[in-house]
Formats: sequence, structure tokens, C-alpha cells
Amino acid sequence: MDFIIQNILNALQWGSFYALIALGYTLVYGVLTLINFAHGDIFMVGAYIAFFVASWLLGPVIGLDPTWTFVLAIPITMFLTAGVGVTLERIAYRPLRRKGAHRLYVVITALMCGLILEYGNLACLGASRKKFPDLLEKVIWHFGDVAVTNLKVLVIFAAIAVFIFLNFIVTKTKIGMAMRGISYDKFAIPLMGIPIDAIIVFTFILGSSFAGLAGLLFAMSYPVLEPFMGALIGWKAFIAAVVGGIGDIRGAFYGGFLLGFIEVGVVSIFPSTYRDLFAFSILLIILWMKPTGLFGVAKNTKI
Amino acid sequence: MSQLLEIDNLYVKYGNIEALHGISFTVGQGEIVTLIGANGAGKSTTLMSVAQLPPPEAPKILSGDIRFKGKSIVGMAPDKIVADLHLALVPEGRHIFGNLTVEENLKLATYARKDGMDEINRDYKRVYELFPRLNERRKQRSESLSGGEQQMLAVGRALMSACKFIMLDEPSMGLAPLLMYDMFRTLKELNEEGMTILLVEQNANLALKFAHRGYVIDTGEIVAQGPCEQLREDPEVKKAYLGG
Repeated sequence: MDFIIQNILNALQWGSFYALIALGYTLVYGVLTLINFAHGDIFMVGAYIAFFVASWLLGPVIGLDPTWTFVLAIPITMFLTAGVGVTLERIAYRPLRRKGAHRLYVVITALMCGLILEYGNLACLGASRKKFPDLLEKVIWHFGDVAVTNLKVLVIFAAIAVFIFLNFIVTKTKIGMAMRGISYDKFAIPLMGIPIDAIIVFTFILGSSFAGLAGLLFAMSYPVLEPFMGALIGWKAFIAAVVGGIGDIRGAFYGGFLLGFIEVGVVSIFPSTYRDLFAFSILLIILWMKPTGLFGVAKNTKI
Repeated sequence: MSQLLEIDNLYVKYGNIEALHGISFTVGQGEIVTLIGANGAGKSTTLMSVAQLPPPEAPKILSGDIRFKGKSIVGMAPDKIVADLHLALVPEGRHIFGNLTVEENLKLATYARKDGMDEINRDYKRVYELFPRLNERRKQRSESLSGGEQQMLAVGRALMSACKFIMLDEPSMGLAPLLMYDMFRTLKELNEEGMTILLVEQNANLALKFAHRGYVIDTGEIVAQGPCEQLREDPEVKKAYLGG
């Protein structure tokens, strides 16, 4: 029993990371029908930004204690990572959109942007890995044989809070309505007096800032950073978003958690080298049975 | 009558084709003006040009000018046309947001309004008064509405954007005759309250009965113009557009 609960907690933690990243894919896809393949690398950049922000806050110039560093690093990291996402949109995607480029070229551009972020990082910072500083004093709660760290609880809590927040934004606010409106009919948005670029920028801000949050929390949980850390986790989160039904926020979350559970489930029974093989095979079967994803609708109704 | 909208020798490209070859016309404050002509004559292109919708979905202006209250609006952002000039377009095919409810569609149209909640609430009330069917279906996803109801929603949305000048592209399309007359009666009512209307219609009979003045467009050029009574009697117009 304890073994099962322990694994459920691990699955929830991994699912949270996938979900936080998957929603960035899903938001941008919902609004632009663009698969932003650079998103996994934005997560990586977020982790690095968190590293530099934390080092700076802890360092001799500011000299904050770790707890305050953590509290301040959250908004600063999210803000700066959002800036990276918005910059990508501005210099890479928007010019193509203006020219009415075919979607294929935009997707290729996204892939290249991701590679540029990876190799730009490698070129600027070198191949050596960065060790993320300890910010939270580790607290472990024991329930029988189940051990829960405060960080794990925090990660799960963050994912759920982000889900509730985004759900509110998308269903209740005017800007969220505009996001849903764009996904259905882009043509009519300016006719409502809505500046379409502002909505797109807002979408990138949401997606990238939560990727930044995920980067920070991930770096705290697995404190070794390297330039390619976003590649595989980004792909997995993307697949999770597709399995959940890309374009739907619930889909991103359920897809993310589903992937977390499958992975941890496989590892708890089989050797860990089987993890990705089994996980992706199961996802393949799900897509085979329901090609639009769990929450996907065949029509172009997204977000 | 002061000229609210002036189109001056406008050349426009749509896709790879030059769709308008130097058309000029005016719409005065409080007028109902109609553009009639065959399918593909350039009527919708004209309206999209005025709305400043960006290519590639919309036409590209090559030369000429579009002036609103004497000032050129060429190159203005399309959302500013609605938000600042209160000039709205109800596009052909309605383009409602089918994944949103009726209420959300109307609310979205208030996005850029700068006036207060009182004015906005007054306009909601007015729209539901004009189109009681929309009130009954407030909470429904708008893609479940009938064609006529969708057209009501498209017009209602324009009204919620606080427009004072409304351009309508084929509002009668796909409507049953009864609904069509209802729609035009409502538009007339709005005009009597001061709304300026520029109407594009293939149903020339209907348009020339409804509007004050008309222009006939043929393959990107204006071939006839005048008060509607006069156009209705014009033998050429009769033969080509009014079925003899």
C-alpha cells in the first residue's frame, strides 16, 4: 500500500512538470494552430534564468537568504521567461504570419528556434553542467513508509493552481474569450475591435511564464542543468498535450498527469530502461483509438 | 449632407487579381447606401478594404484613398477602425464565434469599448429587444443557432461594439423571406435612430427598396449610381439586376 501511495506521489510530481509545459503547447496551438516546438527549450531557458536569478539574489551583491530568494525568484523567472517567449513570437513567428506563410514553414521555424536556444546556450555557457543552489530547506514528512518532501507537494500544488488560474482566464475573462474566439475564427477578431497581436502576445506570455515556473521547480527538484534538458521533456509534454487533445487546457493537464502515471507505473514494475518504450507505446495506442486526443474535438474548436 | 465616408479612386488587389479598378463613392451621415452588383463584382472587396482587414485574408490597397470624416484611414489597424471610428463590418458568412455562447459573442464585441458599464448594459438590453430570439438562446453555443439567428447575432455583435456606422455584407443570404424582412425592418429602425448603413446585396430588388442611394458595381467599376428610385427605373439596371 505504501509503495503504491509513494508511486502515486511521484507520478503526480512528474505529471505536474509535463502538465505545466504541455499547457504552453496547447495555448499557442489553440490560438495560432502553431505547434511551437521551441517550447521545450523555453522551459530549459526558464531553468537557466532561474539559476542566474537565484545565484544573483543569493550572491554578494544582494545577499538574500534562500527562502526569500525562492519567493522572489518565482516572479522574476516567470517574467523573464515570458520575455523570451514574446521575443520569439516577435522576431520569428510574427513576420511569417504577416507574410501569410504556410504553417509548415512556421513549424520549421519553431524547430529551428528551439535548436538555436539549445546551441546558443551551449556556445555561451559551455558544456559544463550547472548545479542549481538549494533554496528550500528540505522537509520530509513521513506517513508510515511514505516519504513526502515539501518540494514535491509544492510542485503538485503549483500545477493545480496554474490549472485553476488558466481555466478562469480562458472561460471567464474577455481576453480568454478572445483567445477562444481566435481559435474558431481569426478573421472576425479585429472586427470586434480586438487587436489580434495583443491576444497572441498574451498567449505567449501565459505559456512561457508557466514554462519558466516549471523550469524553476524542475531545477529545484533535479538540480543539474544542461542545454539539452528541455528537448526530451518538451517532446514528452508535447505528446502529452496531443494525447489529451491539443488546444484544450484540460487535455494538457490530464495528458500530462496521464503520462506521469504511465511512466511511474512502468518503472515500478519493469526495469527503468523500459520506461519510455512502454510509455510511448501506450500513448500510441490511445491515439490509435482516439486520434483527436482524450478531450479533442474533430472540429477546429480549441482551447 | 456631410460626407462621412469617401472612397476616392480606389484600386485594390485581392489575391493575385486586381479586383477594384478605381472606384469612388460616398456615404453621408445617417444615410443608407447600397452597393449592388453580380457575384464577384467587387462589393465584398470594397467593404473589406474600408474595414482595413489585413492581407492575406483580405484585399490589398494599391492606390486611391479611403477617408472617414475627411481623414485618410488607409493603413489604420482594423481593430482601431471599430474601436475609434465606430465603423463596424458584418462580414459575409457572418463569422460568428461558434464555440462561444450567444452572450459571450456579444460580450467579446465590447472588448475595446471605453464608455461605462451603464452604456454597455443599455446596449445589451437594446440588442435583446431588437432580437428576442437571441435573448432566448443566450446560453447556447452559437454554432447551434439557425442561419437567421446567426445573422441576428452578427448584427447584434456589431451593435455591441458601439458602432455608429455599420457595413453589412449580404445580410439576406440564406435567410427565409420572413426573417429577411424582419432583419431589414430592424435595420431601418436603427437607421431612423441615426445609424449610417452601407449595404452590399445581391438581392438588388430588396436593396433598392431599402436604401436611399445606390451604386452599381460591375467587375470592379461603378457603372451606375443615383437615388434608389432612379436606379429602379433605369432600363439598364432593370435588365441586368432586377430581372427585367
